Amino acid sequence: MIMQLLGEMLKLIVLSGLALAGVLVILIWKKGLATKVTYLRFLVQAVAMVAVFYLFTYPVWQLIVLIIIFFLPLFLGRFFCGWLCPFGLIMDAITLIRRATKVRYRLLPNKLNKFLHKFRYVLFLVFLFVPLVLFLLDPPSSFNTSFLLAMLLSGPFEPLRILVGPIIPLIVPWEGPLAIGEVYFSYPYVQEAILYSELVFSDFLVNIIAGIFVLLTFVGSFFLRRVWCRFCPTGTSIAAVNRFKGFKWAPLLHIDKDEQKCTKCGICKRVCPVQVTEVYEQKEGKITGSMCTLCTRCVEMCPYEGCLKVKIGGKTLFKSRNWLETSTTE
Amino acid sequence: MKSRNEEKKYMPEISKKEIEELRKTIEATSRKIVAENIEKMKKADLNRPKGMKYFDEIADFATREKEIRASKKEGKKVIGYTCLFAPIELILAADAIPVRVNSGWYDASKLGDRVVPVEVCPMVRSTIGAKMIALSPYLELSDALISVLTCDGMTKLGEILSDYKPVWAMTLPRVKDSEQSKRLWSEEIKSAKGQIEELTGNKIKRKQLKSAIGLTQKATKAFRRLQELRKGNPVIMGRDAMLVNQTYMWDSIERWTEKTEALCDELEKRASKKNWVCPPDTPRVMVTGTPMIWPDNWKVPTLVEEANPQGVLVADELCSGERLLYDPVGVDEWSMSDMLTAIAERYLMASTCPCFTSEDGNEDRINWMLNKIKEWKIQGVIYYVVRGCMLYAMEYTRVKKVLDGIGVPVYYLDTEYTREDVGQMKTRVEAFLEMLSARIDI
Repeated sequence: MIMQLLGEMLKLIVLSGLALAGVLVILIWKKGLATKVTYLRFLVQAVAMVAVFYLFTYPVWQLIVLIIIFFLPLFLGRFFCGWLCPFGLIMDAITLIRRATKVRYRLLPNKLNKFLHKFRYVLFLVFLFVPLVLFLLDPPSSFNTSFLLAMLLSGPFEPLRILVGPIIPLIVPWEGPLAIGEVYFSYPYVQEAILYSELVFSDFLVNIIAGIFVLLTFVGSFFLRRVWCRFCPTGTSIAAVNRFKGFKWAPLLHIDKDEQKCTKCGICKRVCPVQVTEVYEQKEGKITGSMCTLCTRCVEMCPYEGCLKVKIGGKTLFKSRNWLETSTTE
Repeated sequence: MKSRNEEKKYMPEISKKEIEELRKTIEATSRKIVAENIEKMKKADLNRPKGMKYFDEIADFATREKEIRASKKEGKKVIGYTCLFAPIELILAADAIPVRVNSGWYDASKLGDRVVPVEVCPMVRSTIGAKMIALSPYLELSDALISVLTCDGMTKLGEILSDYKPVWAMTLPRVKDSEQSKRLWSEEIKSAKGQIEELTGNKIKRKQLKSAIGLTQKATKAFRRLQELRKGNPVIMGRDAMLVNQTYMWDSIERWTEKTEALCDELEKRASKKNWVCPPDTPRVMVTGTPMIWPDNWKVPTLVEEANPQGVLVADELCSGERLLYDPVGVDEWSMSDMLTAIAERYLMASTCPCFTSEDGNEDRINWMLNKIKEWKIQGVIYYVVRGCMLYAMEYTRVKKVLDGIGVPVYYLDTEYTREDVGQMKTRVEAFLEMLSARIDI
């Protein structure tokens, strides 16, 4: 039994190691072509989605996911959101469709956006406590305290699973309500929506509620780039640490700004898919906003060579270029 | 009795004969000055890049005038602008020709004195004077003018010129990074688009605008390449590079880009052969301040590069120079509204014109200069201000404080649109350069 578990974990470690190596190889290979970060990101997102699919086929996936959510972000910030999250890929794909139809994206008013930045903490707590309340309202028959922790992780209401919500890939390795042949489809949060509304509503209504959620996020991300990222509970938990001044040292991966090279042309502010203003407003140095998903679109679009940099542990990964030409200097 | 509408609001009545006479004499001097300036530039660098030949030709007003006349006959419209905030991309997208109409003629500024007092900025006076005697071919040929309300002189210049041509005034907000300013300026850009479409009869569509933006982006690319080349030991005289930048204001942008790239190719070869135009220890100077307009207002670069000890201009912070082209239009998604926003932001937010202010003042300009000083290894700054140029004069104190802090000498050179003070200015510039080269020797 234990050996089996270890074997599975080993497989996982190998797999994630492979994925990470793939990401690194792509990064190095593409280093000379930082202007194409958008396409690179798509590639990484797709790889990550496949990796997540495989993770879900193993029983210990929750452990891995929890590590991703609680440990890695301390140093990588919301890198996960910008580069690995499957839900992010879905939203980016919808954005591509919108671009193809030549529809202009809408912008949230700055004040509303700033309000959402705070509101998502409330939302996060609600998401975290609703399953608990439901759990207490309808406790399982064989209930004892030592069982509680296990229930939190994998019981019927799985409060922590809400954090895994956006990581559900489009195709899932388990049986679900929507299937074409042997392939089962799912969508972030849909399982949770079904699970919680089942307590109150009939089966028919449950499906409608899930459908409405899918439709809302689809329409939302058609008009607003990365709409869910603005109040995603997972993203909130990831970035919560970066809000505190004492943790300014923590993000190894961050964007760095050179004040003298900046002309405040506003491009970084305009191209940001989650309307982060810190990159534009902060004068120089380490930029560690809790909203930034580190998608590095601003670095890609900044037309002043070396003004914005993506740094990992003090080492420059890549920097903004004079994108009018493919520069030969590094 | 003329009705009030027909009457000129500002311009005095001058007899045709007098206009003709004045025009003849001033045009003759202008031609002489153009030839003289080019001759001086040729002499300063005996082994001048061959690519400069084209720019010498286009610097002669008659050359481009003929071309513009020919394209006007084909039905193209010409749209003049007095300030670099005019959205050139929109003009190009409507298949019109953009030309900058600011005037650099010293003699014409004396004529401007008949309309406005001498306290007014001489560039404005000179433009008025040039219009009075129909001196500037670009101003005469333009079908409409875009007047951006930046400094006080420019604001009223548009009003005075509206005696002759339709003038579209665009309100420029004085605070550049607030939301309401951006909204106002975006609206102005949209209305300018409507006006341009109405005048030319061409609807600006997505495709045209995209290719127009591509044109200016390519021009910026060529320009940046030239600037990059000036970072190292001097391969081109500052005056030559400044002339290249100047000609962008009236040349066909496509051809300008092509020729500039060709010039850069040549300069790159020279740099690899270590073929410098002057000794590498020549003091490297940057000029900033009031725009210097070809042909007459060329005395400061000439003085600096012909002084003894010699200096070399490696960068400038002039709206007739590097600021014309330094910033590209950065488009996120190529939809119409996004392109318009990008154009609006490129002109408003990236500009370092001193007509802007904000909480921290015009800090962008300071940062721009600090970056130039660091990257282009500038050893001294000449702060050039003509009398009546309030905004630049007032920002001097702040610039000096900052530059003193980093130990870069800055020299305040105030002058007028006149040739009389050349001797006296020569002494001042030489003293400054002497000090710079003494510092280098240490």
